[in-house]
Amino acid sequence: MEYYTLSRYAYWKYYFLILYYKLEEYPESVRVWIVFGTICMLLLVLIVVGNACRTFAHYRFTRLIQHNYNNYFEKMKTVASQARTLEPGEITEILELPKNFKMKEKQNRSFVPTLLAVRRELGSSLSRTNWIRLTQALKMPAYFESQILSRSIRKKVQAFKDVADLDATLKEAVASRYIFAKNRKLQMHARLHQARFGTSYPFKVLEEDPNLVFTDEMVVKYHNVLVYRQKNGLTMPNFIRWCNRVPVNEELRIFAVNEIRLFRRKEDCAELLSMLIGSREEAFSCALIRALGELEYLPAEKEFCRRYLSASFTERQVLAEAIGALGSGNPEVVQFLEEDFLQTTDYVTRMVLLRVLYRYGDIGRKAYTRLREGATPELLPYFVHIECDLIDSRHYA
Amino acid sequence: MLETFDTIFSYFVAIYSTIVLSSYVAMAILAFLEHRKHYTYHDDAYTIDELKKSPYTPGISIVAPAYNEEKTVITNVKSLLSLDYPDFEVVIVNDGSKDKTLELLIENFDLVKVPYAYVEKIKTKPFRGLYKTKSDNPSFKRLTVVDKVNGGTKADASNAGINVLSNKFFVCTDVDCVLDQYALYRIIWPTMASTRRVIAVSATMRMSNGSIVEEGKMVDARPPHSLIPLFQDLEYTRSFLIGKTALARINALQNVSGGFGMFDREIAIKAGGYDGDSFAEDMDIVARMVRYMCDTGEDYRIVQIPETCCWTEGPSTLKVLSRQRTRWGRGLFQFYGVHRDMVGNRNYRRYGALTLTYVFFFELLAPVVELIGYLSVFWFFLRGAVNYHTIWIAFLGLYIFAQLLTMVIISYDNWVGTSFKKKTDYLWFVMASLLEPFLYHPLNTYFSLRGYWKHILGTQMVWGNMTRKGVQSAKPVGPKPTTLAPMQQPQQKKPDA
Repeated sequence: MEYYTLSRYAYWKYYFLILYYKLEEYPESVRVWIVFGTICMLLLVLIVVGNACRTFAHYRFTRLIQHNYNNYFEKMKTVASQARTLEPGEITEILELPKNFKMKEKQNRSFVPTLLAVRRELGSSLSRTNWIRLTQALKMPAYFESQILSRSIRKKVQAFKDVADLDATLKEAVASRYIFAKNRKLQMHARLHQARFGTSYPFKVLEEDPNLVFTDEMVVKYHNVLVYRQKNGLTMPNFIRWCNRVPVNEELRIFAVNEIRLFRRKEDCAELLSMLIGSREEAFSCALIRALGELEYLPAEKEFCRRYLSASFTERQVLAEAIGALGSGNPEVVQFLEEDFLQTTDYVTRMVLLRVLYRYGDIGRKAYTRLREGATPELLPYFVHIECDLIDSRHYA
Repeated sequence: MLETFDTIFSYFVAIYSTIVLSSYVAMAILAFLEHRKHYTYHDDAYTIDELKKSPYTPGISIVAPAYNEEKTVITNVKSLLSLDYPDFEVVIVNDGSKDKTLELLIENFDLVKVPYAYVEKIKTKPFRGLYKTKSDNPSFKRLTVVDKVNGGTKADASNAGINVLSNKFFVCTDVDCVLDQYALYRIIWPTMASTRRVIAVSATMRMSNGSIVEEGKMVDARPPHSLIPLFQDLEYTRSFLIGKTALARINALQNVSGGFGMFDREIAIKAGGYDGDSFAEDMDIVARMVRYMCDTGEDYRIVQIPETCCWTEGPSTLKVLSRQRTRWGRGLFQFYGVHRDMVGNRNYRRYGALTLTYVFFFELLAPVVELIGYLSVFWFFLRGAVNYHTIWIAFLGLYIFAQLLTMVIISYDNWVGTSFKKKTDYLWFVMASLLEPFLYHPLNTYFSLRGYWKHILGTQMVWGNMTRKGVQSAKPVGPKPTTLAPMQQPQQKKPDA
């Protein structure tokens, strides 16, 4: 009797064929269900093992973060809070880092939460130079650079966010690669990075990109970037150029006007007024009116009154608020508001007008009293509402 | 004749189940893509930090109707007021409670009736008054209490709340829900990040039964340790992390949960608000808003966010569960009666053409098909025509598929940032999943059919009170959780897995 030794491949093939011919004996429906069940079973095992591995990896990483926090938090705080500029050697000594210290990606990543905690705790008492040197001692800039240059979008985006959070340094050339990236989120983060840390005039891309999409998310982020730049004495953009950008980007224009208002740039008011005179878009006009009102630019009052009667209810409400904010004390304006209260049919506009008159000094209060005395029973609740201090009628809608 | 019927029936069952299974696979894949996108771009701590600093962060109003909630209302309102968000208001609508709900609110928050100029933008039962605090406590200033005549439904009370709120977006929740501290940051973000107008945002909800809740705040999220709420927790997680996420991916989400969902106020009012007569008011309002957007030719998005933002106390007895599910069944039936013109209608985009058609065949009709299936098996059994080998192998295949789906949910939940502190808590899900096909699923089918039957008969139905055990009274088992190091606080960055 001869014996044959099967090779590994033939061995697998042999059992596979046994299974295959066994399966062939069954009816079609049973075969389908067996194949379906087997695939599900294999996937199930795969997911269970994957989950177990991920959980274990996460557990180890959390431990590493905790370990770094316990070992380095106080030392990092000591370095970052020193008023005197420390030499790199001194920082290495305080941190007790070994000579020829090298970092692996995972270790760098595990340092980020500890660094963030230090930054959050020290706040304004943090020494910027020592902080930069601390991140350099931990080789964080190199880590962020490698993350941004990696193939993973998540790593790139996360690195940009971490750099912004940690106020770390990064070569401008690394970020500028992605300023016109196809991926919109990555593009946004690269642009935000450039806007935050750029030394020359980093807002050119906002003024020149014809395909710019400016979402509310970008509004929030760009505002925070501008606050950061102002705080650190970096060049601020020319908002008027953003308004006059060609092709027009409505959202960017509105943002620019709002920024003029929030940064209280009174020197731009004359330009804003000339824009208002030619403006037809409601949202943009409302932003201009609000800005001019809050910046108390009195020459705008005449234009406010001119626009009022041809404006929509929304714009009228903003105009009335702006007239109230200007508070010029002009009796003609008060009379104008009073007359509109009697004519308007919109209840929100009516409420806004009443509130403006009620707070418009003595002359406004007199007009308010006159209106109250002549009010019909249907209008009386509006007066009682306005007079109640417990109700915040600013947001009546 | 019988043979022909058997063949037709077999083909019908085969096609029906193939579509159902394929749709589950497709939804799991779509949900995977959505979760991957979320994992790639979203960073909770970063988002919260950006929104906290910005003057552009939109205000949010929270509307919570309360009817006979004297046991829990104070703790829960305090919990709502303590949420972390720069600009929000809490509007509690006392829907003509017969107990001391209103009195307790007045007493605890130092409220007085104010002469609010109420305008009924959406028709409701008569408005009785509005209360504001006279206390100097800044968090109490965020509270508004509306008192109205009982309307019999949550929808009517919510509409009264919508009439008085002042922000662009409003969150609709229940007064007994426990919200995550950062829930408002998470729910507002999609409206800001989207290039299209986001008219509604749905967030993941879970069961609070079994969790440790102190002072209305979630201290330790755990899965319920009793069967009925545990089944529901698994069902909710499956629905939110797979079904709704997948539908939101293709902008065809049909339902924003009444427990926690955010809406665009302007569109909600223009669409007519909630339907006071509907038993599925959450599904109904989405349909109305979609109808409005499609009829006016405007572009819109409805988003689902994967993070758990809200915990609700699920029915813990069979009786309460039966009442709830019967109402849901009835609500679904009623919904299709009202919005039948949208089903399969391409004018209502993917929502009408795809989702409503799918839900009609595979959710509304599923209990009916299942009942026919049970009856047929019984009939085949009487005729001696049952092929037991095929039945068992098919059942085993489906059973393994159900377990696979549960493991997929656990993976997704883990991926998007689980609320469970211990990963072993997922073993409860595994246990529930093993038992679900035998215990929970048949019951649900029965309750749905009962709901349909009641709707067909036109039986008068009232909103039942859910007997609450009051999770906030739960005492921690074992040692009280210790304070974590700053890096382990909820704002911790999500590390790469």
